[in-house]
Amino acid sequence: MSLDYVKFTPGFGKFMPKEYRDMVEHGPFGKKISVSQVGMFKEILEEHPMCAGCAMTLFIRLAIIAFPNPEDTITVGTAGCGRLAISQAAIPFVYGNYGDQNGVASGLTRGLRLRFGDKPKDVVVMAGDGGMADIGFAQTLHSWFRKEKFTTIMLDNEVYGNTGGQESGMTNRNQVLKMAPLGKKFEKMDMLGMAKVAGCAYVATVVPNNPRRVESVIKKAVLVAREIGPSYIQAYTSCNIEYAIPTDKVMEDAKTVEDDRYKFSEYITDEAKEYLSQLYGYKEYLPKPATAVGKQ
Amino acid sequence: MYLVANIDTGICAATSCKLCTQYCPEANTILYNNDAGKDKGLKYGSAYVAVDRCKGCAQCVWVCDNMAKHNAIKMEMIDQIGDTALTQNVTYGEKNSSATLASPIRG
Ligand SMILES: Cc1ncc(C[n+]2csc(CCOP(=O)(O)OP(=O)(O)O)c2C)c(N)n1
Ligand code: SF4
Ligand code: SF4
Ligand code: SF4
Repeated sequence: MSLDYVKFTPGFGKFMPKEYRDMVEHGPFGKKISVSQVGMFKEILEEHPMCAGCAMTLFIRLAIIAFPNPEDTITVGTAGCGRLAISQAAIPFVYGNYGDQNGVASGLTRGLRLRFGDKPKDVVVMAGDGGMADIGFAQTLHSWFRKEKFTTIMLDNEVYGNTGGQESGMTNRNQVLKMAPLGKKFEKMDMLGMAKVAGCAYVATVVPNNPRRVESVIKKAVLVAREIGPSYIQAYTSCNIEYAIPTDKVMEDAKTVEDDRYKFSEYITDEAKEYLSQLYGYKEYLPKPATAVGKQ
Repeated sequence: MYLVANIDTGICAATSCKLCTQYCPEANTILYNNDAGKDKGLKYGSAYVAVDRCKGCAQCVWVCDNMAKHNAIKMEMIDQIGDTALTQNVTYGEKNSSATLASPIRG
């Protein structure tokens, strides 16, 4: 049904811009596409004004490729760098006021369920660490406590990038930034711990220097949010401008930070494990066969 | 003038590991032609860059040099690059994409 909007009005195809025609004819809508096939199909993310070499850009690109059903997905964002790209994809994007994104997504998710019943429409919030852990903190936490069924992705560049380098709750202690010249006085907030306490069914940390892993966690998070409950992904997406990382060293930095303090982690409830294994064939979550008595 | 990534088809088509495009921050920029290099007996096809979308970050160079260890990508001045791929000349197939080359300066 929703694939209806990714086709031409009869007779108009040849008048559409090339990018649009490529997207309709060779895009990922209605197909099973994976990160390993990039370069051979038309991606639904278009050109945008984010900085050259930004790791957040790469993460957003990979996340959009990983959406299990892009034709049935709606993204929600807010002020901050990420929305400059997220809004330039051929899937609907809703702009929440700064900090309101999880409130907006809650209403949207409920409305879509009323309108479309059990046909899945995936709602995915992608916003910066400032928008999510500082200004939108209450709305983020409350959406989790209310068990709203959508995915929340933090684009954690550990700074307010879009406004020129203020510290956020997710900045590391002692970090000096342009607008934090004395260094941050407090620890980085434990949003992962809070997501678990607040009842998220799937929580993961990821760094974009491993594209296949980004794909895997995004898919799981979106699928879990369909039926089980809220999911949260925290992605290290460095700001090469505010952290002065040369663009050709951005992946080297990602690797160093991953090895040091942003190791891959995944938390999943038993209910979510059962659901992923039963409905979507995730073998890793199948119950381990009990060892037969007497056999070693 | 400004720098864009340029992929040496000869080196890339000898292995074509398909790593760089997974790391380019820009969408639809490093593409693959499975048939590139076949005329020279190379069997794997090659990556190529739609230079009008390239922002010149050189992340792909780092990936090809350090992860793939193939050293197939160099940053070059857009007016020195000769004929190359541009989005408007790219054709997508079933499981492939290809481009007729044109001058990035004259289009
Ligand atoms: C209510 C409101 N307050 C402040 C702003 C100004 N503002 C725009 S972007 C931004 C910071 C974004 O930082 P973050 O959320 O960490 O995202 P980043 O740009 O780092 O990706 C701020 C404070 C705003 N747009 N709206
Ligand atoms: S300011 Fe930083 S986070 Fe924002 S687009 Fe530029 S590099 Fe990326
Ligand atoms: S990383 Fe290098 S060798 Fe591998 S596909 Fe890209 S250009 Fe070719
Ligand atoms: S230089 Fe940057 S934008 Fe250009 S192709 Fe390489 S990774 Fe992509």
